[in-house]
Amino acid sequence: MTADVLRRRRLRARTGDAVVLAAVAVVLAAMVFPFAWMVLTSFRPAGEMFDLNQILPQHLTLDGFRGLFASSAFGRYVVNSAIVALVAMVVSVFVSCLTGYAFSRFEFRGKRVFMVLVIAVHLFPFVILITPLYLFFSELHLLNTYQGLIIAYVALTLPFATYLMMGYFDTVPKGLDEAARIDGCSTLGVLFRVVFPIAWPGVATVAINSFVMSWEEYLFAKVLMTDDRMKTVQVGLSNFFGEFTTQWDLVMCASVVASVPTIVLFAVAQRRLVSGLATGSVKE
Amino acid sequence: MSAALSLRRRGPSGRLTPYGLIAPGVTILILLFAVPAAYNIWLSLHDVTPYDALGDGQFVGAGNFRSVLKNPLTLSSLKNTVLWLTLVTVAIRLVLGLGIALLLQASVLRRLRLVGLTRTLVLIPWMIPPTVAVAAWRWLLDGQAGLLNQLLMRFGLIDQGVPFLGQTSTVWWCIVAIISWRELPFVIIVLMAGLQAIPHDQYEAAAIDGAGRLRSLLYVTLPNLRPVLGVVALMITINSFNNFVYVWLTTGGGPGTYTQVLATQLFSAAFVDNQLGSGAAIGLLMSACMVVFSLVYLGVLQRRARA
Repeated sequence: MTADVLRRRRLRARTGDAVVLAAVAVVLAAMVFPFAWMVLTSFRPAGEMFDLNQILPQHLTLDGFRGLFASSAFGRYVVNSAIVALVAMVVSVFVSCLTGYAFSRFEFRGKRVFMVLVIAVHLFPFVILITPLYLFFSELHLLNTYQGLIIAYVALTLPFATYLMMGYFDTVPKGLDEAARIDGCSTLGVLFRVVFPIAWPGVATVAINSFVMSWEEYLFAKVLMTDDRMKTVQVGLSNFFGEFTTQWDLVMCASVVASVPTIVLFAVAQRRLVSGLATGSVKE
Repeated sequence: MSAALSLRRRGPSGRLTPYGLIAPGVTILILLFAVPAAYNIWLSLHDVTPYDALGDGQFVGAGNFRSVLKNPLTLSSLKNTVLWLTLVTVAIRLVLGLGIALLLQASVLRRLRLVGLTRTLVLIPWMIPPTVAVAAWRWLLDGQAGLLNQLLMRFGLIDQGVPFLGQTSTVWWCIVAIISWRELPFVIIVLMAGLQAIPHDQYEAAAIDGAGRLRSLLYVTLPNLRPVLGVVALMITINSFNNFVYVWLTTGGGPGTYTQVLATQLFSAAFVDNQLGSGAAIGLLMSACMVVFSLVYLGVLQRRARA
C-alpha cells in the first residue's frame, strides 16, 4: 500500500521533471535558433545556401568573411565603431566616476533633485531629440566626425553608468576615504587612488556596459554619420539588406562580425553585468 | 576639473566639492538633453530643413502641428505604436518572461547541474545587437529563400514563397516576434532576480498551510513580485513606445505605411521629407503621450500606496 503510493508519487515527480525539461528545451531552442542559423549561414559555402538537403553544411568556409572585407568597406566600419565606442567608454567612465562618487559620498543641497534628474534621463527617449541634435551638430561642424558621435554616446551612456557607479561606490567602506584624507589625499586622490581600485570590478562592468551600448547604437550613427567613410558597423550592416534582393550570405557574415565584441564582452562579464542590471532594476 | 582640484580640503570651500564633481556630468546632460528639448519646441513652430543653419526658418505657428494632426498617417502611427509596438509586445514579454523565469527556477535543473548553461543560453538574443537580431530574423522570414518558406514548401503547405514581411496579415506578428525575442532575456533576468529575493520561509509557511503550487504562485510569488513587475513593465513600455530601430530595419514602415509608428514617422518627416519642424512636432506629441502615461502610472502607484 505505502510502497504503491510512494512509487506512484515518484513516477509523478519523474514525469513532472520530464515535462519541465522538455519545456526548457523548447524555450532554449527558440532563443538560440535564429542566432545559430545566422552563424551557420555565415560559414556555409555559397553553393549550399539554398539547399535544404544540407541543413548542416558539409564543410565550413571562411570565404564569406573574406568576401565581406574584400568587397565592402565593412573593415572601415568596424574601425569607426571601435574608435567611437572606446573613446566614449573612457570618457563616460571617467565622468560617471566623478558624478557617482559625489552622489555616493557627499551630502549637498539639491542632491536628490540632481540624482533623480541624472537617473531619470536614462529612460528619456533620444529619438525625440534627434531633430534638434542634428541641427546643433551641423552648426558645430560635428557631423561626420568621430568627436560628434563620441559626444552623443557619452550622453547616451552617462545616466546608467552614473547609476551603476553610485551603487558600486556605496559598497566601498567610507572609513577608507577618511583614512586617506587624513593621510593628505585630495578628493580626486581619494577617488582615483583609493576608492576606484577597490570598486574596480564594478568600474569594469560600467565600462563594458557603456561600450556595448555605443557599439549597438543605430539611430545617432545613421543621422550623424552620413559620409560612407564614417559609417559605423550597425549602419553599414543595415545598408546590406536591400529592399528586394539581399545577399544573405554577406549579411550573415557582417552580422557575425557585428556581434563578436558584444558576445565576447558579455561572456567575460556576464555574471556581474546581469546582477548589476537586475539588482539595478529591482531596487529602483 | 580645476575647480575640484583646488578644493583640496574639507573646509568652508570644501562645501563646493560635490558640485565640482557633478559639474561635468550635469553639464553634458543639460547640453544634450535639456537644451535640445527646449530647442525642439522652437523648432516645432518653424519651417526648417536639414540644410538650414541653426536658428533659420520661417515661423509657422501651429502649422506643423496642424499638418501632422491632419495627416491620416499620424492616427494610424499612433494606433500602431500604442497597440502593436507597445501593448502587444509588453504583454507577451511579461507573460512569457514570468513563465520562463519560473521554469528556469525548477529544481530539476539544479539537480542536473544545468542552471549555468540554461541561464547563458537564454541570454543569447540579448547579447547580439538589435540590428543583428533583425538581420537574423529577416533571413529566416525571407520571402523566397528564408528557412520558414523553404520548410513550408517542402512539406507541401504552400506552393510559392510567402512574403511574411510584405503582406499586411503577417507583418506585425513578425515584428512582434522579433522584438519579443530580442528583449525577452532582459525581462527574464530581472524577474529571476526578483524571484530569488522572495524569502523562502514564505513558501514553507504556505506549504504548511496546505497550499499547492498554484496557490503559492498566486498568494506568495505574485504579490512579492509585484513591485519588480511594475518597474519592468514601466521600463519596457517606455522603451517600446519610443523604439525606432526594430520597425525601421524590419519593414521601414511598410508595406506602404502599414507598419509606420511614431518614431519612424518622426524620422521620415525630418530626414526623408526634410521637414525638421514636422519631425519636432511629432517628437512633442510623443513627449505628451509619455507625460500622460507617467501621470497615469504615478497616479496608480499613489492610489496603491494609500490603499
